[in-house]
Amino acid sequence: MFKVKLEELEEKAYHIRKNLIELMYRAKSGHLDTSLSLVEVWLALVYSDFFQFDPADGSWRERDRIFLSEGHACPLQYLVNADLGYYPVEEVFAGFRRPDTPFQGHTKRSLKHGLENSNGSLGIGLWQAYGQALGVKRQVFCIAGDGEFQEPVSMGLLSVPHFLGAASNFTLILNNNSLAQDAAVEIGPIADVARLYNWHVMQVDGHDFAALDNAYRTAVDEGDRPSVIICDTIKGKGGDPANEGRLGFHGRPPQTGEEYQAYIDGLEATRRN
Amino acid sequence: MITKTYGKESLREAFGHALVAAGERWSDLCVLDAGTSNSTYSKRFQEAYPDRFYTAGINEPGMIGLATGLAMAERRVAACDMAVFLHHAYAHIRAAARQGNDLHLLIAASHAGVTVGPDGGSAHDITDLARMRLIPNFRIITPWDGRQVRRAVEVVFEEKGFYYLRLNRPRLPVFLPEPAPFETGRAYHLHEGGRVTIVAVGDKVYNALEASEELGDGFADVIGISTLEPLDSDMIINSAAKTGRVITVEDHMYAGGLFESVAGVLAMHKPTPMRRLSLGRVFTTSGEPDELSAMFGLDTAALVRECRAFASD
Repeated sequence: MFKVKLEELEEKAYHIRKNLIELMYRAKSGHLDTSLSLVEVWLALVYSDFFQFDPADGSWRERDRIFLSEGHACPLQYLVNADLGYYPVEEVFAGFRRPDTPFQGHTKRSLKHGLENSNGSLGIGLWQAYGQALGVKRQVFCIAGDGEFQEPVSMGLLSVPHFLGAASNFTLILNNNSLAQDAAVEIGPIADVARLYNWHVMQVDGHDFAALDNAYRTAVDEGDRPSVIICDTIKGKGGDPANEGRLGFHGRPPQTGEEYQAYIDGLEATRRN
Repeated sequence: MITKTYGKESLREAFGHALVAAGERWSDLCVLDAGTSNSTYSKRFQEAYPDRFYTAGINEPGMIGLATGLAMAERRVAACDMAVFLHHAYAHIRAAARQGNDLHLLIAASHAGVTVGPDGGSAHDITDLARMRLIPNFRIITPWDGRQVRRAVEVVFEEKGFYYLRLNRPRLPVFLPEPAPFETGRAYHLHEGGRVTIVAVGDKVYNALEASEELGDGFADVIGISTLEPLDSDMIINSAAKTGRVITVEDHMYAGGLFESVAGVLAMHKPTPMRRLSLGRVFTTSGEPDELSAMFGLDTAALVRECRAFASD
């Protein structure tokens, strides 16, 4: 169950994608394709009816947490938080990737803005998130990338329930978009490994709101083990269809008016369907 | 001046006691260790407060990440390890310091320096101060004896922030009064002299005081550093202006350590001839702690020799 109707959520996804394209076309930099791959994953979570937060009090202790470990997806985080009411979206457009703003090229922690953790180098945020889950009673979700699991220290996190104890309030959301910066990636037997180490493992279509909702709910209800939800996504989803799921666009948003238009046309086409 | 000693205690053992006391005072304090709890003495805390102790296993980056997350959950946190193994965790330590100064995180590193001894060069961390100086927000605490360790641990858990506590392995003379002097960011003027300034850090402060006694009244002006970052520059500048000669002494590589910290301050504010007792850019070797300290010119005898030679230049 979502806090809004499914059609409204789909409309939000459309507007956020449009803003992502606009934001990074204007900045001429930023990780558009990763952000596009996570739109449904993120919206389904924050609009789930169980998910607690207060835009007027970002450090409210009873909030549920989202740690972003693959920090290059922060443009999406900035736009979703604007949608949730933490700040006007105009502030994101004015401050994105500019000196000393809350909207840096990778997230700088600011609870006031709903930004739980500073991030950047991969393989770090997910450990911090697990530590947070040990320290709080609310739910802690952490979004990590499939490429991020090439960092051995990320794989190491899977062994944590085995030797440190199971934080059942922790859910790892693995963005399985099959592409890293310079190469395709394949997560291999991560699901099997996680099961062996006592994780509750699920795998869903990361662009399907209903499936995501079901998985998040199952993770929250799990009382004994941490969960991992492998979200199968498409890098660049809902932009220029010629670039969807293709290498070569990591950190490379449209640079010309023509390229920009191809992204917008692609997005509009998905809306009509 | 050393008026009296009170037996011997290692800095790490004092740390274990101090952690237990801090655990009693602060019910939110959590402690982690990366599989070295019987070496860092964090085991004492584990025995006293098992539900607030996390063994991260032989997993330094993970330990620092978990510690950061707990600190972000508004806990006081101490992450303990042997210094040299924290090389593994450098990216995670830097990432911790980027979360903002509302966190309360202490990294306690035991077995710093060559006094680890026979385990050899792989186990001697002689660059930890340099590494930690490169990370903004971290305050670097370098206690001189067990009593100052206890006091420093009390103090650091009173004020939020990031702290690196440098501890070492051997049993050392306890020579400070109780309670030991310690204020974060403050240096201490320990002996009055006019011929040469000795600036010493950590366990080398005891050697500096021994040397000043041997050199006699009025010879060495001794400054003890128990906070390397931020460095109490004024005291060093004033002493340099008085003596015109500054010697630093540290169980650390000169690169990035006390010598370069002090040299940087003096180059800017009071250019002064300097000498140093420190390690070069070397990998060290197995040996007994006293043997290695003598071999690398870090002991009291070496300091006396260097002061005399420098003063008669």
